[in-house]
Amino acid sequence: MTNIIQTHQLTKRFTLESVITSVNMNIKEGEIYGFLGPNGAGKTTIMKMILNLVKPTSGEIIIQNEHITKDSYHYLKDIGSLIEYPVFYDDLTAYQNLQLHCAYIGYKDHNHIVKVLEIVGLREIEKKKVKEFSLGMRQRLAIARAIVTKPKILILDEPVNGLDPIGIKEMRELFIKLKKQYGMTLIISSHIVSEIESIADTIGILHHGKLIEEITMTELRKLQQPTVEIVVSDTDKAKRLLEDGFGAKVQILSQNSLQITKINEKATSMTKHLILHGVDIEKVEIRQQTLEEYFVRRINGGITNAADYEA
Amino acid sequence: MLQIMKLEWNKNQMTRYFKTFVCCILGIYGFVTLIAIDSGDMGSFQEFMSLITVITNITFITFGSVILSRLVISEFRTKTMQVLFTYPIQRKKLLLAKLILAYTFTTGSLLIGICLMQVTTLFLQPSLGLFAGTITWQEIVATFPKTITNAFSMGAIALIPLFFGMRKKSTATTITSAVIIGVLVNSTVSDSGKTFSLADVVIIPLILALLGIGIAYLSFRNIDRQDVSS
Repeated sequence: MTNIIQTHQLTKRFTLESVITSVNMNIKEGEIYGFLGPNGAGKTTIMKMILNLVKPTSGEIIIQNEHITKDSYHYLKDIGSLIEYPVFYDDLTAYQNLQLHCAYIGYKDHNHIVKVLEIVGLREIEKKKVKEFSLGMRQRLAIARAIVTKPKILILDEPVNGLDPIGIKEMRELFIKLKKQYGMTLIISSHIVSEIESIADTIGILHHGKLIEEITMTELRKLQQPTVEIVVSDTDKAKRLLEDGFGAKVQILSQNSLQITKINEKATSMTKHLILHGVDIEKVEIRQQTLEEYFVRRINGGITNAADYEA
Repeated sequence: MLQIMKLEWNKNQMTRYFKTFVCCILGIYGFVTLIAIDSGDMGSFQEFMSLITVITNITFITFGSVILSRLVISEFRTKTMQVLFTYPIQRKKLLLAKLILAYTFTTGSLLIGICLMQVTTLFLQPSLGLFAGTITWQEIVATFPKTITNAFSMGAIALIPLFFGMRKKSTATTITSAVIIGVLVNSTVSDSGKTFSLADVVIIPLILALLGIGIAYLSFRNIDRQDVSS
């Protein structure tokens, strides 16, 4: 797959403070790129820079092979976006807002507006003025606005904010459908890792304005080996037995519990080994690490890159 | 550009301002007519029209600022401008369309409003005797150049509040500054028959009009290369 969006050494400084530092992103055509990072990491700033709302201090952005300059705007016809809080012309109805959006973009298929309102579940209230909408409804309308002109690229900043669990599930399914059915490329930012985990093809982790990781989910799943937590009578003895006998990496979690990472043997072999050497076992739990745990460890500096994680 | 202006017109439901325009004209004319009838000492058509022009100028400079707030300031304040800037349209064009619309509305309102009131006076004067003397079509036509110059310069002066309003993206500041500018420019000092108004010194409205156009130009000159502040 070719890259549809690339950034090279992208940097943004506001007065003296550097908010984005040398970010190199590679977003492939037709994928969902999950953009993760704690609040204030710089996700929105990068998204705004892709949309040319914020101008980079240095570095470059290439979108569909076009180098974006401060004056570029033609490329925006292929991008649908939702940035920060969803804003609309509150005195107009949902339908009128979408109609206006289509007119500005130059998109003429007005039947599609009704279809999109149906998709996001706002068909019944299309004639209601937006000022009467709840946050969840605004968020749905913002997603409708982003997709109504069938853009090639969708940039969605925290798109499920304010949605209820059913709404979140519906939107998640919609994003996958947009990717599969229309071949759209989606960049979705979130600080809720579980939201991204189930739909993203690639994730980029941003921390303090730096892209500290860019990895495909396939690669990441390979790295996410299970861990075993064991509650034993003698942690020191068990640790020694497991490290010497199996070459496992063992960490004592509390007075009587251990966590084993880097597992080369089956858990049954290890527990049998412990019992045979006089260590009583109360509980064994095998856990598959989640992206969230990976993310937290990555952000907290527990690991510096994917290779360390593997080790 | 016309297409963008049309979209702006529809988006802001600007047709409703026609009603406001009619109300303003009726109010101003009614007010001045009452003064003329009540005092009974209006010297001439010029004196009568000068009072109408002063009040109309102040009213429509203020009205212009309301439209300016609606078209420009509130779009920045509510951040819908950020959405507009994600469209494949040059930002300069978007802002220029808004400013042209605001200018045209103010200038057009002044031009049409004053002309309408002049023509109405032509028909009412014989029966109501609003001022001493009579008025003919020729005299009305003779005032047109002044009416046109006044409308064009006041339309541009009505853009000055953009400077104050954009600083804090405030509708209230825009309208307040418009009222102050309108009153200052059109205020008349009178001393037993001799009157003086800033608007009468041709160079002053001209300089202020140029200032208004300059401020409007500065508001979009560099907009394509600027960050959209959040």
